[in-house]
Parts: sequence; structure tokens; C-alpha cells
Amino acid sequence: MTTTGSAPRVNPVYRGRSGQWAFVGHRVSGMLVFLFLLLHIVDVSLINISTELYDEVHALYGNVVLRLFEVGLLFALLFHSFNGIRIVMVDVFPGAVRRERRLLSAVVFLTLAAGIPGGYVIMKPFIDGTLLG
Amino acid sequence: MTSTPSTDERRLAVAGGAPARARRPRQNFETWSWFFMRVSGLVLVFLALVHFALTHIINDVVETDAAFVAERWDNPLWRLFDWSLLALALFHGLNGVRWSIDDYVRSPAWRAGVKAVVYTGSGILFAYGTFTIVTFA
Ligand code: HEM
Ligand code: HEM
Repeated sequence: MTTTGSAPRVNPVYRGRSGQWAFVGHRVSGMLVFLFLLLHIVDVSLINISTELYDEVHALYGNVVLRLFEVGLLFALLFHSFNGIRIVMVDVFPGAVRRERRLLSAVVFLTLAAGIPGGYVIMKPFIDGTLLG
Repeated sequence: MTSTPSTDERRLAVAGGAPARARRPRQNFETWSWFFMRVSGLVLVFLALVHFALTHIINDVVETDAAFVAERWDNPLWRLFDWSLLALALFHGLNGVRWSIDDYVRSPAWRAGVKAVVYTGSGILFAYGTFTIVTFA
């Protein structure tokens, strides 16, 4: 049998700093959006089975719990987008590695700057009290 | 049977190890997959964020009912937009998941099994999503 392809484990726990958190965040956010997409293809497809069924299922997206989930999805999408742009920038301009920490701060700042107002808009019907429960 | 490289090994391969211009890198499947991730990612910034803004910010989610979809899909360009989003997000995400499987699933048998399930499921959903967009009347 061949090996499983793993490198010799010199130090099994890699402890990078901010860059490692960026990697983890990128992986988790990408995975979350991907899993949502799989479900989303099914919920959108209901429209061809029956528009009433589609409306019924889609109305669920309006409840508080799912709205909170959508805010999470928004943050995941924003972080993944800005961090993805950062990765591409560093690949294209290798010199940018020297500004690595600052670029990552910009990613976090932009995610919050777009995510907080966006999250507010998504939660607004609930905050206003138009949406109860 | 050759083993599939992990993300670390892949990154080393992509970096080439030697100074960039010192030798010609091999253009194998991984190089293209790396390149595809960058290009599809940049296009997705536009597609995914516009889609999310349309369904949450500009319109509230509860307004995205069947009538809303019918009105949007009346325009073939929006169907093309949604289909591009479907294709790019699905294959970009799938390639990312493939990298993770290579990183975490170490046993060759399990790795092949998990990949078979993930590829088949994604392939079916891609066909199904395409079918939804094309056949909606
Ligand atoms: C909870 C958040 C979301 C809601 C409420 C939502 C809503 C919708 C709606 C109403 C449609 C029908 C077509 C249209 O009007 O454009 C649709 C289709 C679609 N959405 Fe979303 N969307 C959400 C998030 C996302 C995200 C994050 C992605 C990308 C990864 C995405 C990818 C797609 C795709 C690919 C289609 C076409 C579906 C198909 O072919 O079956 N959506 N979405
Ligand atoms: C919105 C714009 C997006 C950008 C700019 C982007 C960018 C990127 C880039 C550059 C990578 C490669 C990272 C590396 O080489 O280490 C990547 C990985 C990934 N992306 Fe995206 N992406 C975007 C959207 C998406 C979407 C919509 C999904 C889900 C359907 C997704 C899921 C993933 C996954 C699962 C990975 C693998 C992460 C890993 O291996 O750690 N991305 N993305």
C-alpha cells in the first residue's frame, strides 16, 4: 500500500499567528457558504414544483432565527470576499507580504464596515417590532 | 497509486520553491485549479454580493417570493446572471472542499469515498439548479 501522503510530523501543531486565523476564517466561511448553497439550490427549485410551496418555504427566511443566520451568512461572505481579494493581491504583488498585517486589518475593517449596517438592515423588521417571533 | 498533496504541499508546489523566474513551473491540474480559484473568486465578489444585496438589502427577504422571481427571470440576462453564480460558486466551493478533504481525510479509501459522495452530490445539484433556471416559465 502507498502512504497517505502526510509529511513527517516534526511539530504537528503549527502555530502561525494572524495569518493562521485568516486561513481558518477563510476555510470556515467558504465551507459555510458552500453548504448553504447546496440547500439553497433545493429551496429555489421548489418554484418549479409549486409556487405556493416555494412561497411557504421561502417565508421561513423571514423569521428571526433565520434572519440571524442570514446576518452570519453576510459576514461570512464579506470576510471571505475581502480576504480572497487580499490573497490574490499578495499573489500578484509579492511585495505586499511586507504589509501583511495591515492588509488583514483592512479585511477585518471592511467586513465590519459593510456587515454591521447590512446586518442592521436585515434585522430591522425585528428591531422595529414589525416582525414578532 | 499516487497520493494527493495536502494544501501545504500544494502551496510549495505553486510557489515553485525556487525564485520565480529561475525555472518554468509545471502547468499541472493543481496549477489550473489554483488559477481558477483566483479568477472565479474575483468574479464571485461581484455576483455573490449583488445577489445578496438584491435579496436582503434592496428588497427584504420576505419580498423575494415566487412573483419576485418570475419578474426577474422574465429577463434572460438575470437567468444568465443566476446561472453564472450557480456554476462559479458551486465549482469554486467544490474545489475548496476538495482541498479540505485532502488535508483532513488521510486514509486513501476514505478519501476516495468521501470525494465520490461530494462530487456526485454536487454534480446532481448543479444539474438540478441549471434545470430550475432553464425550465422556469
Ligand atoms: C439567505 C440568503 C439568500 C436568499 C434569501 C436568496 C434568495 C434567492 C432567490 C429569491 C433566488 C431566485 C432567483 C432570483 O430571484 O435571483 C435565488 C437564486 C439563487 N441564489 Fe440565492 N439567496 C440567498 C443567498 C445566496 C448566496 C449566499 C448564494 C451564493 C453562494 C446564492 C446563490 C444563488 C443561486 C446560484 C441561485 C440560482 C439557483 C438555482 O439555479 O437553483 N444565494 N436566491
Ligand atoms: C465572494 C467572492 C469570493 C472570493 C474573492 C473568493 C476567493 C477565494 C480564494 C482566493 C480562495 C483560495 C484560497 C487559497 O488558495 O488558500 C478561496 C477558497 C475557498 N472558497 Fe472562495 N471566494 C469567494 C466566494 C466563495 C463562495 C461563494 C464560496 C462557497 C460557495 C467559496 C468557498 C470557498 C472554499 C470552500 C475555499 C477553500 C478554502 C480553503 O481551502 O481553506 N468562496 N476563495
